[in-house]
Amino acid sequence: MAKTGVLGLYSDANYAAEAGDGLQRMGISDNDYDFLTGAPYPEGAFGEKESSHRLYVFPFVGALCGLTAGILLTSMTQMAYPLVTGGKPILSLPPMAIVTYEGTMLGAILFTVLGIIFESRLPRPSLGLYDDRITEGYVGVLVECEPEEVDRVEQVLTQAGAEDIKRGKV
Amino acid sequence: MARHPHEAAERTGPPEVHLSDREVMQDLAEKYDAACPKFWLAVAVAGGLFALGVLAFVIRALDVGLSDSSRNEYGYYAAAFAFLIVTATTAPLAAIAFRWTKNHWRRPFSRAAELFSLVGILAVLAFIPMLIVLPGIDLNGDGVLELGKDRRTIWFSAPIGAPIWWDMAGLIGVVVCGLALLWVSARPDMAQIAQVSNGLRARVMGRLACGWQGTVRDWNVQKGQMAILGAFYFMLLVWVHTLISLDFALSLIPGWRDSIFAAHHVLTGIQASAGLLIVVLFLMKKVGGYDRYIGVDPFWSFAKVLLGVTLLWGYFWFSEFMTFWYGRDETEQTVIKLLMVESYRTAFLLNLFFSFFIPFVLLLWNGVRKSVLGPTVAGASVIIGAFFMMVRLYVPAFNIKDVGAESIAEFEAAHGGTAAQLLPVLPGPLDVLMVVGMMAGAAFIFLLGTRLIPIMSAWEMKEGLMYVLYRPFMKGKYLVLGKPE
Amino acid sequence: MQEGRALADRQINRDLLHTIFTHPKWQWGLIAFFGIIVLGAMCAAGYMFNRGLGVSGLNRPVMWGFFITNFVFWIGISHAGVMLSAILRLSKAEWRRPATRAAEVLTVFSLMTAMLMPLIHAGRPWRVFYWVFPFDWARGVYPNVRSALIWDPSAVFTYLTSSTLFVYIALLPDLAVIRDRSTGIRRQIYSVLALGWRGNPRQWKLQIIAGVLLSALILPVFVSVHSIVSFDFSMAIAVKSWHSTIFPPYFVIGAVHSGVAAVVIVMAVMRWLYGWQEYIRPEHFDALGRLLVVVATGWFFFFVLEFFFGLYSLEADEIAVKDFLSAQAPWSWWFITFVGTTYFIPVGMWLFKGVRRNPGLMIIACISVNIGMWLERFLIIVPGLAQKQVMNFTYFTYAPSVVEVVIVIGTFALVCMLMLLFAKVFPLIPLYDIKEGEIARDEIQIGRRKVPAVLREE
Repeated sequence: MAKTGVLGLYSDANYAAEAGDGLQRMGISDNDYDFLTGAPYPEGAFGEKESSHRLYVFPFVGALCGLTAGILLTSMTQMAYPLVTGGKPILSLPPMAIVTYEGTMLGAILFTVLGIIFESRLPRPSLGLYDDRITEGYVGVLVECEPEEVDRVEQVLTQAGAEDIKRGKV
Repeated sequence: MARHPHEAAERTGPPEVHLSDREVMQDLAEKYDAACPKFWLAVAVAGGLFALGVLAFVIRALDVGLSDSSRNEYGYYAAAFAFLIVTATTAPLAAIAFRWTKNHWRRPFSRAAELFSLVGILAVLAFIPMLIVLPGIDLNGDGVLELGKDRRTIWFSAPIGAPIWWDMAGLIGVVVCGLALLWVSARPDMAQIAQVSNGLRARVMGRLACGWQGTVRDWNVQKGQMAILGAFYFMLLVWVHTLISLDFALSLIPGWRDSIFAAHHVLTGIQASAGLLIVVLFLMKKVGGYDRYIGVDPFWSFAKVLLGVTLLWGYFWFSEFMTFWYGRDETEQTVIKLLMVESYRTAFLLNLFFSFFIPFVLLLWNGVRKSVLGPTVAGASVIIGAFFMMVRLYVPAFNIKDVGAESIAEFEAAHGGTAAQLLPVLPGPLDVLMVVGMMAGAAFIFLLGTRLIPIMSAWEMKEGLMYVLYRPFMKGKYLVLGKPE
Repeated sequence: MQEGRALADRQINRDLLHTIFTHPKWQWGLIAFFGIIVLGAMCAAGYMFNRGLGVSGLNRPVMWGFFITNFVFWIGISHAGVMLSAILRLSKAEWRRPATRAAEVLTVFSLMTAMLMPLIHAGRPWRVFYWVFPFDWARGVYPNVRSALIWDPSAVFTYLTSSTLFVYIALLPDLAVIRDRSTGIRRQIYSVLALGWRGNPRQWKLQIIAGVLLSALILPVFVSVHSIVSFDFSMAIAVKSWHSTIFPPYFVIGAVHSGVAAVVIVMAVMRWLYGWQEYIRPEHFDALGRLLVVVATGWFFFFVLEFFFGLYSLEADEIAVKDFLSAQAPWSWWFITFVGTTYFIPVGMWLFKGVRRNPGLMIIACISVNIGMWLERFLIIVPGLAQKQVMNFTYFTYAPSVVEVVIVIGTFALVCMLMLLFAKVFPLIPLYDIKEGEIARDEIQIGRRKVPAVLREE
């Protein structure tokens, strides 16, 4: 059966963190609830699980692609149009290194940006269960649970001090 | 970061936060009092090698004399002297810079950095023979500076005392300033030692502390003095690097015009001295018994600085190389051949490898940066690289006889191949002893210095206790850094 | 260093988004004013394209004048973004928070403006495609990789792409804030731009890492860009005074000097125009002032080395350029003005805390820096070229024409207009960064004194 979403809204971040503890005590897996905030809190402030990512792989892959493209571009165009200038060899490494360096960095940065978007699980076609007050200082505790658990989840969220509770699709 | 932030923090953060004020003082005083046999063995070895180096220098001087005509015999001596300048003499800058930027992680090594000022005394003494062998400017003595006959120097028509007295004045200035900085910084600790010690040490320390009481005024005055002396030290150091590099390397190679050279020399000094301090920090932690005061934090933070400086080092080198390579000017090509790709190719490749590739490849990884061993290996590497850089710059410069020529490109034209003056010179046994002796002398003075003044600044460590805390915040425990104005 | 009072998220949103949600007439008036100047510059450029480069003051042997000077100047200003945003982000300087976005945006707009200058200077901009892009498959004619003029576009293109993406990634959380405050079509547009940002810990973690990682990646690009611009000059041995090994770092530090000064001007103007006194505080100007003293002094060291080594050569034609520059009027007057306005006047002012904490005086000092830095580029380019050389058969000095002056003024108006337009649709101060600063704000009680402190993740 499809899971249901419950969103509790807290004006005090400490209450939201307490709600997280309550959900854990209730047996909700930490993969099934999340905290939505309008600003970055120090990692672990809500007692949340550390999220792993592979962002650091992206710049290396991008750099490698950029490096290859740079080497190919600089060497092939010079060999295709072998015009000697300034008494320098057709394949002069120092100038080639400059353009290749720019290509490498461009590749690394492009892939990093893609990696950030990908690892952030963006873009999301729809916001799902969300509240505009989150960007106004409220902290949202978003829980994904079985339909029969919804009432208990709401109870836990309310007991922790939720000012508003919403239901919907996550 | 780990699931429980405080666990990670305890692992990497400054360990002194778990100590009390009194514990720090007592512990550091005990360490200062006690010196193990290994320490004295190290002092004896360093002293012995230093004595051998001095002996080698005396033999060389008696054998070939000490003048412009025997300058070529002192190329490695010059390289060792320059190495002393780029490492030991530049080291106090780390204490000054990170005090300015209020970095708390500087605290465990700032005194060690300042203690290198003592090595400046050796640098001043070692500089005297360098000045004696430096050729004059107006070589034909006609009072007129002529290109191709006289020497091209930064002093042009040789103003009063240039370059000898100005260079010496600069070096003495930087050494005196460094010693003053060391004294100002160590006064609170000296007063403390005078109180807890007895006998001669108590009397000497009491005198040196000059009535330090630790009043608010005392601390404010000390802060002001350190700021002013630090600014002067920085300016004088840049000045000394500039003078020494231009007078003892660049201007001895005719036709070599390299506007980035002095700046590159300064940068190499910053890089090598950072490497030196990381190695010292490692030794303090692993051998010196200061493990509980030195966490991973200073290594991690210093490694980031070292990575940045290493990248800059590569950039400065590339700027120099690229301009010379691209211009296709005959003199510039000869300079590149001499210093990089032909005569001193081995030294250059070792320089590039140790000063750039090794630290860059190592420090690129956060896991390596955030360790004790990684930054230490990178630090040792840049020290080795700096030494080879000094070799490839100063040895060829000291081996050129015809310093009045317009350009070294002429040598080749006259000779029909690589001129003898431009051929690589390998070190003889006496050269090796002089080089090792110079380094051992620096180590000898530094080690003895740690018996005079504690290698770890107790007052700065205690100050750190006030400004570095761990506090709970929501479900975690985090580092809180105080930033006093 | 944290002197402001604690601010609530709601208030931060209200204060920093009012440029987007309110529409005072003066904003459109200002935009129109700058727009008219830009229009004038476009007409001047169009006239030049139609009549040819003869309507400019360029003539043998000075074929690089105001346009190239302006190109180097705007490239220099573009270094502000990375200098402030990346370096201060990497060093975790708390006072960076209100400055980063404006600096990054200034980077993008000044780079775009800089890229216009060589196009305009070419006289026939469409021909630049042959010079830059390797697309002539049919004839097999490709750009010369060994030319410094090819390195330039590759570096500037990389820098512009990177900076634009950097701005966008850092904007994501703020776009979500605007989305949540908007309705109708505007909400739809911002929803698309925000990519469905919700602000869970994973997204925030990646956002923070992105800031650091992209900073670390853009820094080497930033250094390369102005170095490569300097190679346009230093690779040439024919023009005396240009072929100098110190040019790359000298250009970079000069760029940082003028760029950071430009950010100070932008911040002070933002503070005054939008009433952001709570966010851009005297402590921020103080910190920037101190930073500028260090940067300016570093620049001065490089300047001295560069000037000095022209004389060190003892070659008559090298010395002639320095003599022309520093001892022959009117160039000597420009030279004195340049050194005074770039270093002695502003640094003399910044030594006083009262000046550093006064936005009005900081504007004066920073305008002085930028006048000096514009002159610096002019004095590097023109006197070197304006020397009679062996193969010269005609010989003129250089004076800019009205067309060039109008186009150069137009570039300043263009950047101002683009900044104002940006402020109409996006926040110029990063909201999430300010909010994070509020969360991390702490104090340590020592005796009777409360020392400002900051909470840090390891």
